[in-house]
Formats: sequence, C-alpha cells, structure tokens
Amino acid sequence: MTVAGTSGVRRRSGRNTLLGWSFLLPNFLGFAVLTMVPVVLLFYYAFTTWDIFGGAEWTGLDNARQLVHDAGFWTAMRNTLYYTAFHIPLTLVVSLGLALLLNRRLRGVAFFRTVAFFPYIASIVAVAQVWNMLFSPGYGPIDAVLRAVGVDNPPGWTTSADWSMPAVILVGTWREMGYFMLIFLAGLQTVPGELYEAARVDGAGAWQRLRAVTLPGLRPTMFFVVVLLTVNSFKVLDLILVMTNGGPGQSTLVLAQYVYRKGFEENQFGYASAVSMVLFLLCFLVTVVQFVVNRRREA
Amino acid sequence: MKRSTAAVLGAATALALALTGCSSGDDSGGDGTDTLTLAGWSLATTPEFKALADGFHAAHPDITVELKEYDPKNYDTQMIADLAAGKAPDIYVQKTLKNFYTYQNGKQLLDVSDVAAGLGPDTNGLASYQVEGKTYAIPYRQDSWVIYYNKALFDQARVKYPDGSWTWDDYAAAGRRLTAGLETAGSQALGVYQHVWQSTLQGFALAQTPGADLSSGDFGYLKPYYTRAVDLQKAGAQVSLGDATTNNLTYQAQFGKQRAAMMTMGTWYIATLLSQQKSGDADRFEWGIAPAPQRDKSTTGTSATPVTFADPTGMGINPKINKDKIETAKKFLAYAGSADAAKALAGIGITPANTDAAADTIFAVPGVPTDAVSKFAFTKHETRPENPVGKYTAPLQNILNDLHTAVMSGSTDIDTAIAEAQDRARNEVLNK
Repeated sequence: MTVAGTSGVRRRSGRNTLLGWSFLLPNFLGFAVLTMVPVVLLFYYAFTTWDIFGGAEWTGLDNARQLVHDAGFWTAMRNTLYYTAFHIPLTLVVSLGLALLLNRRLRGVAFFRTVAFFPYIASIVAVAQVWNMLFSPGYGPIDAVLRAVGVDNPPGWTTSADWSMPAVILVGTWREMGYFMLIFLAGLQTVPGELYEAARVDGAGAWQRLRAVTLPGLRPTMFFVVVLLTVNSFKVLDLILVMTNGGPGQSTLVLAQYVYRKGFEENQFGYASAVSMVLFLLCFLVTVVQFVVNRRREA
Repeated sequence: MKRSTAAVLGAATALALALTGCSSGDDSGGDGTDTLTLAGWSLATTPEFKALADGFHAAHPDITVELKEYDPKNYDTQMIADLAAGKAPDIYVQKTLKNFYTYQNGKQLLDVSDVAAGLGPDTNGLASYQVEGKTYAIPYRQDSWVIYYNKALFDQARVKYPDGSWTWDDYAAAGRRLTAGLETAGSQALGVYQHVWQSTLQGFALAQTPGADLSSGDFGYLKPYYTRAVDLQKAGAQVSLGDATTNNLTYQAQFGKQRAAMMTMGTWYIATLLSQQKSGDADRFEWGIAPAPQRDKSTTGTSATPVTFADPTGMGINPKINKDKIETAKKFLAYAGSADAAKALAGIGITPANTDAAADTIFAVPGVPTDAVSKFAFTKHETRPENPVGKYTAPLQNILNDLHTAVMSGSTDIDTAIAEAQDRARNEVLNK
C-alpha cells in the first residue's frame, strides 16, 4: 500500500512536470531561438566587424574605440537621455493623475478609462501620422489655434530641430499614459481604505492623504512603473521612426534608431551590435540602481 | 480533459511550433534547370518583372521564370537576410545602387562580364556595376530626372513652357512667376513641387557640379542648390518640407491632382502618370517633359547634352544558384539588357537601359507627350549616378539626409549644415 502510494505520487509528480514543460516549451523555444540566442550572439558581434555576409572578423576593442569618437553616437545618447528625462516624470504624473481621477465612483468612469487607454492599443503608425498632421505648421490645427490666440510664431513641432523632441515626448506620453494609468488603478485597489479613514479622522487634507497614504501605498506599483518606463524610454524607436525619422537633422535621433541605421541601412552589424550593447548596459545599470534604491527604501 | 491528454497535446503543440519555426521550407522555386526564380517587389503595381519573365519565356518556351515578391520598402533588408540564409532567388534586382557595394563586396553576385560583353553600346548604366574590370549586374532600366510640367497651368499663369534652355535660376524664376500668375488667375496651385527626398537637390548637385565627389567628404557643392530651394520655399512658390512630411504628401498627388505646375522627377513617373490618368487617380490634363534644369548655360539648349542623374536598376545572379542553371540565368540577363526587352519595357512606360532602342516604342504609347522638347528630354542626356558605388556611400548618404532635413526645415543654415556634415563625414565615416 505504501509502495503503491509512493509510486502513484511519483507518477503524478512526473505527469505534472511533463504538463508544466508542455505549456512552457512553446514559449520558451520561441524565446530561446528568437531572443536569447541573438542577444548572446550580440555580445560576440560587438567585438567584430561584420557585414552579415561571410564570417565576422574579430577586432577586439576597435568598435568601442570608434564609439568614443563617434559624434553621431553621442548625439543619439544625448537625445535618448533627453527623451528619458522628460518622458518618465511626465508620464508618471499624468498617468497617476488619471488613475486618481478615475478611481472615484463617477458616472461613465468605465468610458473615460477606455478613452484614456485607447491610445495605447491604437496603431503606432496611425497615431504618429495623425499627430504629425496635427503638428503641421502650415495646415495643422494646433498652430492654427495658437495663431488664433495671438501667438505670432507658433512652434514648428516635428519640423523644427528645437521643438521636435518635445513634440515626440508629448505624443509618447499621450500614448503610454493609459497603460500606466491601468497599472496605477490596480495599485490603488491595494491601498487599505481604513488608512484613508484614519487620516481623515486625524484631519489630513487631500494633499496630505496623497503624500502620507496613497504614495507610500503605491510604492511597489511605482517601482514597477518606473522600471518599465525607463526601459521603454531607453529603447524608444517606433514612434520616432514614423514621426520624425530622427530629424530634422539629428534632433530626434535616438540610440535604438542609431542601431537600426548602422545595422540595417549601412550593414555594419558589428558596430551596430556594439551600440546595442551600450544600450543594453545602460538599461541594465539603471534598472539595477533602481532595484538597490528601492530595496534600501523598503528596508 | 485528462491531465495526460493535455500534456500530450501541449507537447505536440510545442513540437509542431518548433518544427514550423525551424523548417527550412524552400520557397525559392523549383530546382529544375528549366525554372529560374527572380526577385521583384509590388508585383501587382510593378509590371516590369512580369514583362521580362513573359518576354523571356516567349523567346525560350522551355524555360519558366517564377517571380518571388518582396516588400518594396524593405527590399534590401529582406534580400540581404535571404542571401545570408541561402534562400534568395536565382536572380535578384539591384533596387538601389547604394547597396550594390554590400552585395558585390560580400561576394553575393556572380561575375557576368561575359553577358555585359554581348550587350550593345547603347546600354546605359553598365559602368555602375563594374568593379576592377568585372561586371556584376546587368542594367535593364535607366531612368533619368527631367522636368514634368502641366501645360494647362502654365497657360493659365501665362508662363512659357520649358524649352531645354533653363538653368536652375531660370527654373526658380519660372516657379515664382507661375505661383504669382496662378494666384492672379484664382488657382490654388503652386509653381513648383519639390519632393521630400534628398536626391531632389543632392542628386543634381553631385551630377552637375564639376569636381563634386561624394566620397571626398567635401560637400560645398550643395550650397547653391539649397540656397535656391530654401528661397523658393520662403517665397511660397513650393510647399515646405515640413508641410510635405507632416501631411505625407505624395508627388503623384501634387502633380497628378494639379497642385503644382511643375516638378523634377525621374522618368519612372511617366508610366505612373499615364496609369493614374487612366484610372482617375490623377486628373486628365496635358503635360510634357523637359530636360532637367542645368547648373549653367554650357549644357542647356537642344544642341548640348543636358546633365542629369538617376541610378540604373540592374539584375545579378545569386552565387548560390544551382550550377546547372548559371548559363540559363545568364541568358535571362542577356535578354533583360537586350533591345527586345527594352521594347517590352517601353511598351508599359518603363525607361529601359537601352533607351535608344525603345524611344519609338515609348512615344507610341497613348498619352506620352510627343513634342520635340519631350522627345529630346527623354532621349538625350548624360545621366550620372546618384549613388556612386563605394564603401562609404550608404553612411555618407545618411549624413547628407540629416543635412537635407536640417536645412529644408529651416532649422540650420546651409553653411553650418555643410560644415557639420563634413565634420561628421570625416569623424564617423572617412577617418574611422
């Protein structure tokens, strides 16, 4: 009886393992073949010169040395940091504000939540194209309104080297705010209602309740959102590619597009891999710092 | 469902996905020596590939040419990936001359010097595919940039048609007069449309300026061309680059819908305009072509040869082709560069590399302008390449595209932009 029981448990355990693997395998195979292997290979190609045909030639630190003196790379780096520095706080504030606003029992709240989330699921090409038309200096409604209210020289938005990055940041924020609003909304459900009641009893105003109850209660959510936003900002590509293609000039050229240019337009896959490695290390380092800071705060 | 059944199903799904993902399904066509595979793009709207395949099959009924379609916007990326994976067709088109170096230097093209030797002396664009005395692709079409003009709008603005004597200054002056004249006549059309591509200025500047050399990293030759274009834009005689890009304007709509009286464009637009006027996508109006404006008077007039630009379009052979098919593939290339193919292409409005052999055919196509200036513009010109073949062409063109958008958007003045581009060319490309 005992022996039969043990073998039954083993069989069940074996079946469970098999079942687990069977569900994991399709996704894992895809991940391994299409993501993991290329990423691992990238670290090798970063030290080679390779034009995709034939073998890659090992060049040691040549790509790294070239990067240091590559003005285009540094422009892309500065633009990426510019985008990140403004996109993260702006999206945080807007998405949290939306979440707080739509966390109340309002008539039609589901409709407004859907409206706020809609840009995230809309086609990026369509979004970029429509915003480009809105921003058009000659025919766009945004500058038309600005002129109507007395602004003599409205911004050139995506057609001006000074305004193209702010325009892209605005659209990036508009696009992502709904997604992060949803995450914040989920986070807000985890903050105990009793804490708000206690704060009210203690005479705390709305601002104090936000600072003393809501924000501390949202810390894990906030951490997740900041990490996600950071990585998204560092690797921004699609929006910029469609809206400005990195221009005018190099005013919106970001690291991800620089990788694309070097690799797929100029066929310097070794050098493009070196730039990708920098982008990867940048994301990795910033995320590690965020983890460490978060852990210290929690401790 | 029992767990064991679920497990089996899951495992089967995984296996199926893995096999599907890793299968090497060869879709490059049959391996029989009587079948060739040829790469093309937008087959439904680009009939030249089918015209060549059908024409060759008619001459060689025992050989079939199968077309493999690629995405026109990502043609080179997809082709490079297919070549690297060993899945590319037997014959593939050099869609842009800019990437010829990558294919040739990467040993992805067979030597077809013997085919080139058999071509007539009238074949344009052959030199672009020759490296160290060997030929690696055979041009089958060679467009060249000309002026397209709308006769009705010129008449409305009371401006004389271009007659082949125009320099760029004449072109700009006519653009202003047209804009003013059209406004007076109550039309909203502008004098000029300049499309958003860098080639609309840089192609002419490189081709027409004596001593201009892309790979020298000295881009001073661009200045007069940009100064004139920016002035035209400021004068309101042409749509600004910003409005053209933000509103995704197409040159086909700008000229075809009579929003501009003239524009410079490649001769490939002849076929498009004819077909759009037929389908209703373009208005029906009388139009003509004239030689591209010239840098100075020395190359104007019908007794001179105007200098213009455009890259040839050629075909090469994939070195991984079945060895038994190489001779057949060479036969196809010889046909693509022949006078017969030139006539077949001209019949559908395409400008073949062997232009002289096909001039009569193209002017017989209904709707093609047959006035003396149009005929002169189509048949007589010195067409220089937009993208001289070389290791640095692609990265230098990227730098010059940044210059183009910076200057035409009004973000940077031309002197500063040229200085920046020259610095970048030295640091990022030439001296690396």
